Amino acid sequence: MSKLLEIKDLHVAVNGTEIVHGISLAVNAGEVHAIMGTNGSGKSTLTKAIAGHPDYQITSGDILLHGKSILKLEPEERAREGVFLAFQYPVEVPGVSNLYFLRTALNAMRKHRGQPEASGAEFLALVKEKAKLVEMDQALLNRSVNEGFSGGEKKRNEIFQMTVLEPVLGLLDESDSGLDIDALRIVAQGVNAMRSPSRSFVLVTHYQRLLDHIQPDYVHVLMDGRIVKSGRKELALELEQKGYAWIEQGAGSR
Amino acid sequence: MTATELAGFAGLYEASAAARATEPRWLRELRDGAFSSLNELGLPTARDEDWRFTPLKPVTSQAWVLPGKADVSSAEIAPFLFGVAGPLLVLVDGRFEPRLSRLGGLPAGVRVEPLSAVIAGDPAAHEHVGRYADHHSRAFLALNAALFADGALVRLEPGARLAEPLHVLHVSTGGGALCCPRLTIELGEQAELSLLESYAGVGAGARLVNAVTEQVLARGAQLRHIRLLRETEQGVFLGWQEVRIERDAMLASHSLALGAHFARAETSAMLRGEGASCDLKGLVLARGRQHMDHQLLVDHVRPRCTSRQLYRSVVDERARSVFAGRIVVRPGAIGTDASQQNNNLLLSDDARVDTKPQLEIYADDVKCSHGATSGRLDPAALFFLRSRGLDVPSARSLLTYAFANDVVESAPVPQVRAALEQLVRAHFAGVLGE
Repeated sequence: MSKLLEIKDLHVAVNGTEIVHGISLAVNAGEVHAIMGTNGSGKSTLTKAIAGHPDYQITSGDILLHGKSILKLEPEERAREGVFLAFQYPVEVPGVSNLYFLRTALNAMRKHRGQPEASGAEFLALVKEKAKLVEMDQALLNRSVNEGFSGGEKKRNEIFQMTVLEPVLGLLDESDSGLDIDALRIVAQGVNAMRSPSRSFVLVTHYQRLLDHIQPDYVHVLMDGRIVKSGRKELALELEQKGYAWIEQGAGSR
Repeated sequence: MTATELAGFAGLYEASAAARATEPRWLRELRDGAFSSLNELGLPTARDEDWRFTPLKPVTSQAWVLPGKADVSSAEIAPFLFGVAGPLLVLVDGRFEPRLSRLGGLPAGVRVEPLSAVIAGDPAAHEHVGRYADHHSRAFLALNAALFADGALVRLEPGARLAEPLHVLHVSTGGGALCCPRLTIELGEQAELSLLESYAGVGAGARLVNAVTEQVLARGAQLRHIRLLRETEQGVFLGWQEVRIERDAMLASHSLALGAHFARAETSAMLRGEGASCDLKGLVLARGRQHMDHQLLVDHVRPRCTSRQLYRSVVDERARSVFAGRIVVRPGAIGTDASQQNNNLLLSDDARVDTKPQLEIYADDVKCSHGATSGRLDPAALFFLRSRGLDVPSARSLLTYAFANDVVESAPVPQVRAALEQLVRAHFAGVLGE
């Protein structure tokens, strides 16, 4: 299997303070990796760094997508190469309709891939199909991006965008937080429908419950900006039972 | 102000003597009175609080001339029309142009006439001309009254309505001309009108447009109004909007300032009858070295009136936007519901915004709110859009458009909404690339 994402000894700083202290991770095409950890362990920092957030400086190490470094790429270039970040706190964009924005984004991707722009009818058909998949209310599509959406609707909108834009790498930053069981099921439904041998996911989560719905291939535990334990999906269950303190006691045992 | 600055205008008044000589006596007296008020008042200076942020140099640093005869083709005005079917009254350099206008087929009770025709043919003209805005207390109102050549008088009888919007289009042609158009709208009880008031510029050279608009709404009347400023880069615009709203009458008035080197637009709205309402919105898109100043006064005279002000500006490069909004609640105007919002988006380090809210409340039991914000594009929203594949210019353009669109999408004349959105989009395409 080919490596879709490779992170090599990555160090990330925010405002001059290092948060991630050397993470290495390889995600093969088609795999789902879960990254678990307590608040402040560096989970979100890792996903934002991969997406290219300008406030997150990579002080050393490398991030490779399909074997090529993406460190020099702007966030929009990474997106067009197929990186998608589902935000932990989706932003509201008053005055920009969901559909208008999404069509602009989709066409930016298509242009990059040398494909023709989606026609109005083609786009609407695509949107309709994907909205159904994540049980997204049609009325929300015409509203401003996330404006006046409930917490669950915002998270669902992130997944909806992902299904339309069809990235090769989905980074889900706590997409399960604040969701009731139905919303959680729907988010998982969207991700599971997208799983394919050529697409990978990195799920960042605090709790095991998302992993009941999306079966990860690997689970990594992050603590103080380092991966302290990696394993198969059973690790998540063990963590759920024994708590993070269990890892802390035996930290470093990989 | 100096005597030399006024001397230029005095010279123009002299030059108009021959034209004035043939006018009815009441008008000659009105003009003489206005001209002597102008002399007494002088031009405003930076020491006048209302003019502190708006230096008058663009007005005073130039010797203006009276407009000559200008030829404007229908092709030249085509970009300023909206493809709407309603009546069209075109003024070129302040003078009615019948060749470009379309005033036939008006329904009963609706009169749209050039002011010059009313003055020449209507013995009761003096009851409509110079009656509302006070040309003795403000210099540029006085200047307009002294020098206006023409304009439009729109009268709707009680209950009359016009299905399609009326468009009054003023075209300036440059050449250093001073134009003083006047537009007076009188709506009878329960009458309804949608009005587009455009100021467009064609041709080369400087021009000073000193416009006065009067809007008088009798009981229950409704006026939906859009003023669109699309002057050239050498256009200097001074506008006064005088509004009187009687009981249960409603004004929705949007001002879109897109073009002009310098613009000062003042609105004075008086809510004179119980249950009257006005909704004033504005959008300023300024760049280069443009200076756009909006001054609003909403005067709650009677109880239970409602007023809204929402003004937004997007200021780029070295441009400057000024907003001053004043709400006055007179004694006894209980149950007043007034709000004011001014939001400004600064797109460059050299852009500048001055905003000044002012509330004067002399009554109890009123609801008044105001707020002003000035800032840059939200970095979180920018990153979000970039993370979805939009490059920086597209993301900035989308967010900026969204900020502006809040005003445009609620434009009170739905027939032109799409055209206005297109104009705003085109503006940002120029500013932000893509």
